[in-house]
Amino acid sequence: MRLDVPRDVSLDGHLVDGVLGYLTLCTGIAFAVLVVVLAVTLLFHRARASRPHAHHTHGDSLRARLLTFGVGLILFVAIDVTLAVRASGHLHEHFWNYPDADPSALRVEVTARQWSWTFRTAGPDARFGTPDDVVTLGELHVPVGRPVYLKLRSKDVVHSLYLPNFRTKIDAIPGSTTKLWFQAQEAGRTEIGCAQHCGVSHYKMRGWLIASPEDEYRGWLARAETDSRLRYDPADTVAQQEGWEW
Amino acid sequence: MNGEAAASASRRLNGAVGMAVFIGACAMLFAALLFAYAVVRSQAAAWPPPGTPPFPRGAAAANGLLLIAAGFALRRARIRGPAWLAVGLGLAAVFLLMQASLWGRLVAGHLGPGTGALGDAFFALSAFHALHVLGGLVAISVLLRRRVPGETRLRRLRLATIYMDFVAVVWLIIYVAVCLL
Amino acid sequence: MRRIFSTDHKVIGKQFLFLRLAFLAVGGVMAMLIRWQLARPGQPVPIVGRLLFPGAGGVISPAAYTSLFTMHGTIMIFFAVTPILIGGFGNFCVPLLIGARDMAFPRLNMASFWVMAAATATLTASFFVPLGAAQAGWTAYATLSTAIGAPGPGQTMWTVAIYLNGVSTVMGAVNYITTVVRLRAPGMSWFRLPLTVWGFFLTSILNALFVPVIAAAMALLFFDRVFGTQFFIAGTTMRAGGDPILYQHLFWLFGHPEVYILILPAWGIVSDLLSFFARKPAFGYRVTVWALIGVVILSCVVYGHHMFTTGMSPLLGESFMLLTMIISVPTSLLFLNWLGTLWRGALRMTTPMLFCVGLVFTFGIGGLTGLYLADIVADQYLHDTYFVVGHFHLIMAAALLMASFAATYFWFPKMFGRMMSERLGKLHFWPTFLALNVVFIGQLAIGWAGMQRRLYDPSAYDFLKHLLPWNVWISRAAYVLGLSQLVFVWNFFASLRRGKPAPANPWEVGTLEWTLPSPPPHHNFEEIPTVVRGPHELGHPDARARGKDWLGQDEVLS
Repeated sequence: MRLDVPRDVSLDGHLVDGVLGYLTLCTGIAFAVLVVVLAVTLLFHRARASRPHAHHTHGDSLRARLLTFGVGLILFVAIDVTLAVRASGHLHEHFWNYPDADPSALRVEVTARQWSWTFRTAGPDARFGTPDDVVTLGELHVPVGRPVYLKLRSKDVVHSLYLPNFRTKIDAIPGSTTKLWFQAQEAGRTEIGCAQHCGVSHYKMRGWLIASPEDEYRGWLARAETDSRLRYDPADTVAQQEGWEW
Repeated sequence: MNGEAAASASRRLNGAVGMAVFIGACAMLFAALLFAYAVVRSQAAAWPPPGTPPFPRGAAAANGLLLIAAGFALRRARIRGPAWLAVGLGLAAVFLLMQASLWGRLVAGHLGPGTGALGDAFFALSAFHALHVLGGLVAISVLLRRRVPGETRLRRLRLATIYMDFVAVVWLIIYVAVCLL
Repeated sequence: MRRIFSTDHKVIGKQFLFLRLAFLAVGGVMAMLIRWQLARPGQPVPIVGRLLFPGAGGVISPAAYTSLFTMHGTIMIFFAVTPILIGGFGNFCVPLLIGARDMAFPRLNMASFWVMAAATATLTASFFVPLGAAQAGWTAYATLSTAIGAPGPGQTMWTVAIYLNGVSTVMGAVNYITTVVRLRAPGMSWFRLPLTVWGFFLTSILNALFVPVIAAAMALLFFDRVFGTQFFIAGTTMRAGGDPILYQHLFWLFGHPEVYILILPAWGIVSDLLSFFARKPAFGYRVTVWALIGVVILSCVVYGHHMFTTGMSPLLGESFMLLTMIISVPTSLLFLNWLGTLWRGALRMTTPMLFCVGLVFTFGIGGLTGLYLADIVADQYLHDTYFVVGHFHLIMAAALLMASFAATYFWFPKMFGRMMSERLGKLHFWPTFLALNVVFIGQLAIGWAGMQRRLYDPSAYDFLKHLLPWNVWISRAAYVLGLSQLVFVWNFFASLRRGKPAPANPWEVGTLEWTLPSPPPHHNFEEIPTVVRGPHELGHPDARARGKDWLGQDEVLS
């Protein structure tokens, strides 16, 4: 019975794994101590003929309280405080450090709906809402080694774009825009899931993230843009989605 | 006699504590509803939203006065007896009828629920408020029964007036928040 | 008629207990069905399949599955566990434990049961309407729960049922708070109260404050569905509206205190029972009380950790993360005090004690896994995976279930005048405890591997296909868990009829309910007792001088 954690293909996913690892170490130790203490009491502190009475204490002596508070404080500092500081650092330096000022970041508009994902990239004119926009259904093409900056919205109910191989997710909420950024470090196909119950076919709301080396990506983009331009029909307002200011 | 007085004082305090908790819970309900209204309002581009018909503030204010009058009548009943109790209940009942008529007017004038954010907010808040008035009405009307001993009636009337005061204050807050601001 | 509409808190407590245990069974059967679908996706359910899902030939359809997990959660939280502990044991025990004849408002108590029954009827009826019962999860996020995502009366009836449930709960909270504040026997100071009473008292404060918030959420959802308002539906420039996230804020403002509402009675009961069966006082009683109060206060300001992935502002997110982590401080103090109670005790491993120790174990794991979810970086991966499911089931299902069982085995003699079988109790405990751990630790594992919640068929995703054997084993353990409860049911009903007659104080402990006959008479105490000491005077030297190892709360030493 294998238990495979999704392969991390991202720039920052290892930070998440690091935090998870630290958590497991700390909570593992705490739990082990708990089990040992419980085992000792259950094995050795039972009522027996030779030891019928308990050690009478209310545990409210200064010593007892210092011990209790001391252990509590150590646990808090060792686990909670270090985690919070570490998480804060990761968030501000990486996950919440959106590439607004980075011209090389690939910008993608994501539309979630029951029950599929649509992705739109601006064409070579770098403007959304023009005939050379590339719209894909269920497939997000990204280049390896460049930041990818997503802005998401939903057409109907709350969905959540889940990238297990990037250790991240973000909700898509009707009426507002959310954002996410990530970077693929290796080429390949990984899955996109929905991580917020969105109706009967929530389990099928799946997509593919296809990361390609830069030149391969550009090749795909060029073909897709040509396609878009050829198919562009200015009269078909339904097919054209409104974009928003980046 | 001492024991009876102590028991009666004890029952009074029980009622006071219970009513305090109940009013606290109701206050949380209205606070949550007002919070929702505040969020809707903060997200609106303009307030009132474009196309909203003018709100009949005068009618709403008049209804509020009815409620305040009902509270006064109930307070008087504590000193002057059950006749004023009936007056207070009557005024509260008229308040509910007038609210219903106001809602009818609002629906006809495109200010009902579902027509826009102002209608939504007023309807939600005033509907819940009316339910609380109705609940109070029902609870207090039980006091009109002759079988209730005088001392109990007085004790419950005290609690009832506190509750009706609370209900009147809530109406005031709703009125200010939705109709004036 | 007088019996059905009795205002005696002991009768009302039993009414709650029976009705809610029945619904615990219903929720449990739903869990078994969910587990069937996860282990054998798309295969017809044996025996009962054709009866329950006739249209689909006994197979659970995606729509039926969404209803199942929605109603499983709803029933377990609102209609089983909370009312068993608070409505059932709270009602029966609190007046007895504080030395009162009844609750402060007996008729209100009776009304609260019948409002709860009406809520239950509404929820049950929602199964039989067109388009079926609610399907938006027990959390019912907008806009899935509005007319956009959930047409049909089922979801609307769901909001009404939750609302009525809330009304019943607030009625109860008014009663418990007034009773504990006002009706304590002479000498029963705040710091002589059994921790069970503290648990029920603090839980009632949270109930009074936060149940109205979900009532407001339900009311606004009802209006959105029925009257076309737009509180939870985003507006446009021309038609101002609300925000789906507003629903989440209102829901979790209630929802997080709710999990403490669920666990506080359990914490109180376990704190007392560990002391009773270790034959020594509860370690650090005052610290425990202050820790419980600390948890209550902090629980009001941590709810945002359920919403880390909604794109909230960084400042808000980090504040919630920090506050959530701080709440682990009082919780760990509580825990350490439990261990202190057990340490160097003279443990009597009775069935109630076994369940208490089991709770300490599962709550240990469950509580520690909460840290993972408090950390935003870890949560962005683990949110909405089975890690969350494992976490909250360890804490709520496992710990609460064990607290409920401990309470049942402990107070059964007092309630019904008979002892439950110890042998059957242990036979119930071991498979229950082991199976609970396999099921929910297993879920932690598959959540770590990335499996999302609420998936009808995980094999729709390639990266989850290899987890099928895990789901099969979790389901098998779940069936064992379900079947083991039959031992409890048998023990319960057989003991009602043929159990050994219970003495007044079979457990030899000092709280006031054990000074009365089993079961107590209608008016409880002949004379209201005067309390002279705390509830955990076990192993006291003065007691030993009298040839026993415990002192009653009202026992005057000459």
